[in-house]
Amino acid sequence: MAIPIAPYAWHRNREGLGIWEGRGRVVATGVGTSPTARRWDEKPESSMGALTILAIRRAIEDAGITPDEIDGIVLTPESTTGVSNDPNAPAPAGWDSVFKMADFPQAGITRGDIDWILLNMPELKNVEFKMNGPVCMSVAFTTAAEAVSRGLAKTCLVVRGWHNLAGRYYVGQGAAALDTAAGPGKYGSIFGMPACATTAMVFEEYCNKYGKSHEMMAPFIVEERRNGLMNPDGYYTQHRPEMITVDDYLSGRWIAKPANIYDNDLPIQAALAVIFTTPQLAAHHKQKPVYILNHAQTRPELQGAVPTLNEWERASDRMGRMLYEGAGIGPEDVSFENMYDGFTLFHQFHLEGLRFASRGEKRGYALDLYQTDISIEGPNPVSPSGGNNGNGRTRWWNHRDCILQIQGRSPSQITRPAEIGISGAHVPNFCDALVWAASAD
Amino acid sequence: MAFLISFDIDGTMEFGDPPGGVTVEMVRRAQELGFLIGSCSDRFPSAQRALWEAREVKVDFVAAKHMLPDIRSRFEATRYLHIGDRDLDQQLAEQAGFEFFWDHEGVSEPWLAWLEDHGE
Repeated sequence: MAIPIAPYAWHRNREGLGIWEGRGRVVATGVGTSPTARRWDEKPESSMGALTILAIRRAIEDAGITPDEIDGIVLTPESTTGVSNDPNAPAPAGWDSVFKMADFPQAGITRGDIDWILLNMPELKNVEFKMNGPVCMSVAFTTAAEAVSRGLAKTCLVVRGWHNLAGRYYVGQGAAALDTAAGPGKYGSIFGMPACATTAMVFEEYCNKYGKSHEMMAPFIVEERRNGLMNPDGYYTQHRPEMITVDDYLSGRWIAKPANIYDNDLPIQAALAVIFTTPQLAAHHKQKPVYILNHAQTRPELQGAVPTLNEWERASDRMGRMLYEGAGIGPEDVSFENMYDGFTLFHQFHLEGLRFASRGEKRGYALDLYQTDISIEGPNPVSPSGGNNGNGRTRWWNHRDCILQIQGRSPSQITRPAEIGISGAHVPNFCDALVWAASAD
Repeated sequence: MAFLISFDIDGTMEFGDPPGGVTVEMVRRAQELGFLIGSCSDRFPSAQRALWEAREVKVDFVAAKHMLPDIRSRFEATRYLHIGDRDLDQQLAEQAGFEFFWDHEGVSEPWLAWLEDHGE
């Protein structure tokens, strides 16, 4: 039977909904992260599926619970934004000697699959609630939050794996290799733009409007890499422990000016699993519970083939208002922000939408903020996780770090008390975000 | 008479990600024979320098890949060569007036024949 996705009504995508009914009734406890790799070496043991299983086992162990306590799982099935195999491609030789096969032959290889996980993790024998959080792990997190708050699951895994096949990520492969563009891609992809081009155009519009420049991004880029290199689970720490300098960043090759190569995140293999449960059940979990105060969603309401500055600002402003309304807090309550950064040039739209560290400014202040102390030691920690830019492409380092920061065990722990943090992904007008807190109040 | 070789790293050098077929030993040999050697890669310059230093190779230059023209203007040489694994390497090399070898061609060290061609 097909795994369902969350009903539309679960997504908080309008203003005026008031305090979220689930506020303080869902917590995160255990976190499990797999090792990373730049690309899959085509061995079953290092596949995206294998990493996912490992991450799940680590999350359960981290929470200090037993697998039979897990009664729900929410998973993001898409495991790349780049190239996948043909969905009907058979598994490689030797696969079935390591894993049991699900109906979908690419399960565990280029697509996450709950049934495949359950087949290969017999210890998860009490899972009743199964739901997909498509496209982005942010959706899986918000879906799981709703499921637990509604009593549909008591102890729920939230899972996403990422695959990265051998070869280059986008170039001449997948849709880019076809003679024609189909679906929504026919409106925007036929012009041959690299993925970061739309972000670059909006960023250019931003710079023109507010008198900013690409060079002003440098402190943010450097700080993110610094934070990422503190994370023992990050790709760069594990494989390329190289610190970037301002000069390095400014020397980067333009991919779509004003987006250079270092504004683009690096595709990797990795998996994350997180345990969501109720505050009552979390009492016997090993880790400190991190409360979810609210979640919210934006989706594009485009007036053309590509977004505009106005659309991104309106969408991220609305996200900020929705998050604060449902959580019952304001920007001044936020200790740190971990909004998405892949591509780096749209992070400031998210940040400004939250009015993070605003001194009354509404828009056009983030790049000035980047010139101040945005380090984890400073008063306004920006992206303390290091994000994709500091750890490799996953879209979940930011969420993971919100949990770890509030638990007081982030490898890049902020100096100021981590009471409330916000994370969300991905682009400013297609975003699912959550407010995480140390207490339910 | 100087010859200059620029090595791409990822997909070209043995320590690249992914690894390529050109070894550090080949680079050392070229340098010992008088070639000007270095790297032009999408790895940022400080990281390139660190990678070479970790292998105790004192390169003459490191630069971002699109800075091949700058390398050409900084060093006077009879022939300029870039070795890489992507169309982009070939494109940038040609634009900068460099000869170009694919990574798999570089494995046979074809630049050594230059010494004989030029009577070195």
